[in-house]
Amino acid sequence: MQTPVTIPVPVLRLPRGPDGFSRGFAPDGRRAPLRPEVPEIQARPIAQESPEFQEQRARAALRERYLRSLLAMVGRQVSFTLHEGVRVAAHFGATDLDVANFYVSQLQTPIGVQAEALLRCSDIISYTFKP
Amino acid sequence: MAMRQTPLTCSGHTRPVVDLAFSGITPYGYFLISACKDGKPMLRQGDTGDWIGTFLGHKGAVWGATLNKDATKAATAAADFTAKVWDAVSGDELMTLAHKHIVKTVDFTQDSNYLLTGGQDKLLRIYDLNKPEAEPKEISGHTSGIKKALWCSEDKQILSADDKTVRLWDHATMTEVKSLNFNMSVSSMEYIPEGEILVITYGRSIAFHSAVSLDPIKSFEAPATINSASLHPEKEFLVAGGEDFKLYKYDYNSGEELESYKGHFGPIHCVRFSPDGELYASGSEDGTLRLWQTVVGKTYGLWKCVLPEEDSGELAKPKIGFPETTEEEIEEIATENSDCIYPSAPDVKA
Repeated sequence: MQTPVTIPVPVLRLPRGPDGFSRGFAPDGRRAPLRPEVPEIQARPIAQESPEFQEQRARAALRERYLRSLLAMVGRQVSFTLHEGVRVAAHFGATDLDVANFYVSQLQTPIGVQAEALLRCSDIISYTFKP
Repeated sequence: MAMRQTPLTCSGHTRPVVDLAFSGITPYGYFLISACKDGKPMLRQGDTGDWIGTFLGHKGAVWGATLNKDATKAATAAADFTAKVWDAVSGDELMTLAHKHIVKTVDFTQDSNYLLTGGQDKLLRIYDLNKPEAEPKEISGHTSGIKKALWCSEDKQILSADDKTVRLWDHATMTEVKSLNFNMSVSSMEYIPEGEILVITYGRSIAFHSAVSLDPIKSFEAPATINSASLHPEKEFLVAGGEDFKLYKYDYNSGEELESYKGHFGPIHCVRFSPDGELYASGSEDGTLRLWQTVVGKTYGLWKCVLPEEDSGELAKPKIGFPETTEEEIEEIATENSDCIYPSAPDVKA
């Protein structure tokens, strides 16, 4: 039996779902002018903040923790796991601004020890150190 | 090239969606509320299905949900023996109305001053929302649990359905005016103010009665047990869905079946036309809401009509535009949550 060829109606995008971390009702949404005045005493801080502020605060906290972890690594022995199962160890020096390269010294490689080296971040799968 | 219906699936609920309701048309568009057995009713933008917020507070399955005309208030009926009234702009709970059993249905009057509730305790209750501490007025008479209760005739009368009867009550005197008996369980009821039409579903039947006299107007038989039906505002079409997971579209005047759509993965519990009649929404046991176009292929909401000249030959599946190119188009369908600048899936940042 031949069915006629039909094209599904195109859509701009799919409906947005819940954001997964808040109950919604953005305080700065389109219907904000309709919001009743909430007295200071009754205001619940968490509900007042929009999801974007919360996310920004979380991101800032995580970024700060990461930068502090890099500071804690300076001068220490760090072991890096690279692609193809390669593991190397070195003394950590610094990273550049975008954390694209790691400056290390005394890099122990399978073919010898390199006094000064630059490890590309894209080559690194993980690294570990003991503070 | 003929166009095929692309339903828009609204996810978010984790259990069956048992009731849904649209608001009237407001300056901000129209809105949709869905009642779910997961206890977390959700508010969505009506023309796109975009989630706006979730009403948190109920401690049991939510069986009924409704919005007032201008979508500033929401009301929900739940298995935790309460009905709640919410601020639909902020999402805050305004009132909790204690009942003696599971509450199944809620309805606002046109002026949002009164709330009608009904449930397993077989009583209709009328709450004055300006006096939340006052005891509600009660109407007794039903002999089985009330499934649906609606204001009608400009809030001067009340229509209520239990398992086997539909009753009409006078609001002022709180007495029964008329009743209809069915030998099959009534699954749903919808009231259309313009024309005073009542849509009742039972078994495989979709019946239309006068809301004033309860006299029958006409009825259609569907191929399967129907759980809910809705009449188009202009009374050209009706849509119905039920136990076979399909949505049926009929011509109201001739009774001819025009279309049937598969898509849901479970029985359909509720279906309603939007206030402008451009789309209809269905809620299912599968936990989703789906939006369907009344006129397939028309540009409306998230659906975009593609003319033959624009056809690049690659229209095998719906085109989903990239965020950068659709910002301008999204302008007019901006959602409550001002997140247009964020992609729908959060990017993983270092």
